[in-house]
Amino acid sequence: MIPLRQFLQLALQALLRNRMQTGLAVLGMAVGVGALVTSVALGRGAQDAIADQLRAAGANVIVVTAGNYMAAHKVIKDDIVEGRADPNPLDLLFPNSGLRKVSWHPASLSGGLLQAVGGAQGRLQKVHFEDDPFAKHDHPTAAQRLGDAMAGLGSAATLTREDAAAIRKIPGVQYVVSGVHNNSRVFIAGHRDEKWFTRMHGTEADLPEIRTGWVFPHGRFLNPNEVEGKEQVMALGQIVSDHLFGPKVNPVGKIVFLWNQPFKVVGLIGSRSWAQQPAVGDDEFDAVYVPVTTVNHLLDLSKLNNITITTKSVGQTTQVAKEIGDLLRKRHKIADGMPADFTVKTQAEQVIGKGLSPELAYAVGGNAKSMDQLTIAKLSGSLERANRTMLGLLAGVATVSLLVGGIGVMNLLLLSVTQRTREVGLRMAVGARRSDVAVQFVLEAMLLSVAGGLVGVLAGVLASGSLERFFKWSADISSMSAVMAVVVAAVIGMVFGVYPARRAAQLDPIEALRHE
Amino acid sequence: MPVISLQNLKKSYKLGDNTVHALRGASLDIEAGEFVTITGPSGSGKSTLMHILGCLDRPTDGKYLLNDRDVSNLSRDELAAIRNKQIGFVFQGFNLLPRTTAVENVEVPLLYSRPAMPAIERRKLALAALKSMGLEERAHHHPSQLSGGQQQRVAIARALVNQPSLILADEPTGNLDTKTSIEVMRILQELRERRAITIVLITHEPDIAAYGTRIISVRDGAIVSDKPNDPTPALEHVAEVEAPRMAANGI
Repeated sequence: MIPLRQFLQLALQALLRNRMQTGLAVLGMAVGVGALVTSVALGRGAQDAIADQLRAAGANVIVVTAGNYMAAHKVIKDDIVEGRADPNPLDLLFPNSGLRKVSWHPASLSGGLLQAVGGAQGRLQKVHFEDDPFAKHDHPTAAQRLGDAMAGLGSAATLTREDAAAIRKIPGVQYVVSGVHNNSRVFIAGHRDEKWFTRMHGTEADLPEIRTGWVFPHGRFLNPNEVEGKEQVMALGQIVSDHLFGPKVNPVGKIVFLWNQPFKVVGLIGSRSWAQQPAVGDDEFDAVYVPVTTVNHLLDLSKLNNITITTKSVGQTTQVAKEIGDLLRKRHKIADGMPADFTVKTQAEQVIGKGLSPELAYAVGGNAKSMDQLTIAKLSGSLERANRTMLGLLAGVATVSLLVGGIGVMNLLLLSVTQRTREVGLRMAVGARRSDVAVQFVLEAMLLSVAGGLVGVLAGVLASGSLERFFKWSADISSMSAVMAVVVAAVIGMVFGVYPARRAAQLDPIEALRHE
Repeated sequence: MPVISLQNLKKSYKLGDNTVHALRGASLDIEAGEFVTITGPSGSGKSTLMHILGCLDRPTDGKYLLNDRDVSNLSRDELAAIRNKQIGFVFQGFNLLPRTTAVENVEVPLLYSRPAMPAIERRKLALAALKSMGLEERAHHHPSQLSGGQQQRVAIARALVNQPSLILADEPTGNLDTKTSIEVMRILQELRERRAITIVLITHEPDIAAYGTRIISVRDGAIVSDKPNDPTPALEHVAEVEAPRMAANGI
């Protein structure tokens, strides 16, 4: 057998004699391997993001809503109408304006204008301060009425935190978060006239465990003490923070007014995934989050709009949903055969129903059991297709880079064979077989490319780390992919080393010894 | 039994449309312990003869028995093994690997020994060979840190390290001054006298040829003369050459 260690040492010595050329060849290889590692990391990151999206889309989420959406249901087939967003009251008022941020001066408002505004909605009614479509969001008692009105198609709110506590005891339940939701206007000190119309979520500290797509660029979410203590603290969605304080401003510690009450900002909520960008009008990032207890205290509410539950595993969701239904019927003392005063839906059903006209939503609700599978499958399918396209692109870049790196290695070795022809001749004269010579050059090629591979892995780790950190791309480097990258580099070195090695091995010792 | 036995050895090769007959039938026996010098003008075929003797090339026709084994038709790898074990080469240009220490240069033939030799063993043999050349203190010097004579002695140590029966020296003094040349010749003479190593040396200088025990002249691919020689004693010769120089230097 060939004394491998000795040959490796020889190869290393030979490479170190030409440090500059060796360094450049290693660099070429490192670029290729770095690109490979980065693209694999980004690909895996994207896959994780998709899995997160699916979890976030609610494979294991159950929402119990006050009121009964399911009492009447028609079955409709395939003609699902293109979803549209929740109608924004401002859009109803000013359908073509696209206006969101408005300056409002109640003092300058004439009754006539308000009359006209009321008229624009097609309803003639007596204008009262609390009925002002803007101002009523700023008034706790009016907000309470609005909250009640929204709590279940006009019925009284029926869910309580005691219900939530009871649900928490069902086996298989992971997190339970009570919710009160409202459309509200927020502003900051000195800008009372520039109010931002947004979603208000009264919630609990565990919500980020359910919204797995969240990150906190600044601060944190509400903590349990703040929730129990009914503190006036607030977590801001990215969009709200951008509009109140400007982009890239850390809002933590600042004060935001809601219902004319000061709330201290404890955190900023952003999106973890490139697949879900915060947008104006969305329910998660164009929103403010405050303790549900604080909301109930300020608005003098005792009921909840909904309770959000996650199960420990996706497979349990249906079973747990049924148990929740049974439990609440018992707690609300609803006789068998009577319609319930609440609705239990999985998140998938929720998503499907969202944005549909009420009658369509009822119908969809009835059909949703069979639809959630389809929709989740569709969602994951399209995300994965997009992901594959991106991965293919990155893999293409990585392949080309690796090819270029391999050519660099080959180039260096061909040069080396020419420069070291006499050495090859001498080695042959003193007894080196052709295979010995070939092995030595192939080892040099492999050493070069493995060195390039190691540098490349390091560069790839740094690159994907920076992409993740500074551009918020999801990247996931596994030690397996790092090892694979080095192996790929070694194989490339071998392949591209074979031709120069053959050239060296086929030298005629006499000619080689004469070579100058 | 002769170490080398050539029987009507021929070598021709094509150069464009012409066939060049480098050797036109050489027959020759060299016994163990001979110091044969081969002389001839350039183009006489002495280099071709040397390459065939050194198993670097194969004859077109005829037979070459090395230590009684016909090596005329062996494969390249078989020839490599024979070069490794039985022949030590000393070249005009030393052919030491640059940026490689003397002892590592001497180890090179041992790298290709089969079965593989442990590193410690290789180092031991290489140091012993260097010591026999009086270079043990230079073992870790690079060729560029050594004089021409020292470099050639490293090369001789390398030729000796596998304990070959035959040393082939191709113009070993071509790059050396007279004094150093004589030193190298003395080393070769001592190798023959003390270790009974057979030496074949190629040169175009008659006074170098005179150090051998037998002088063969080659011309136009054929042996034109082959006669025993009373070798010039290199030991005294050094003193002879040195005396006037030392006197000139006032020693």
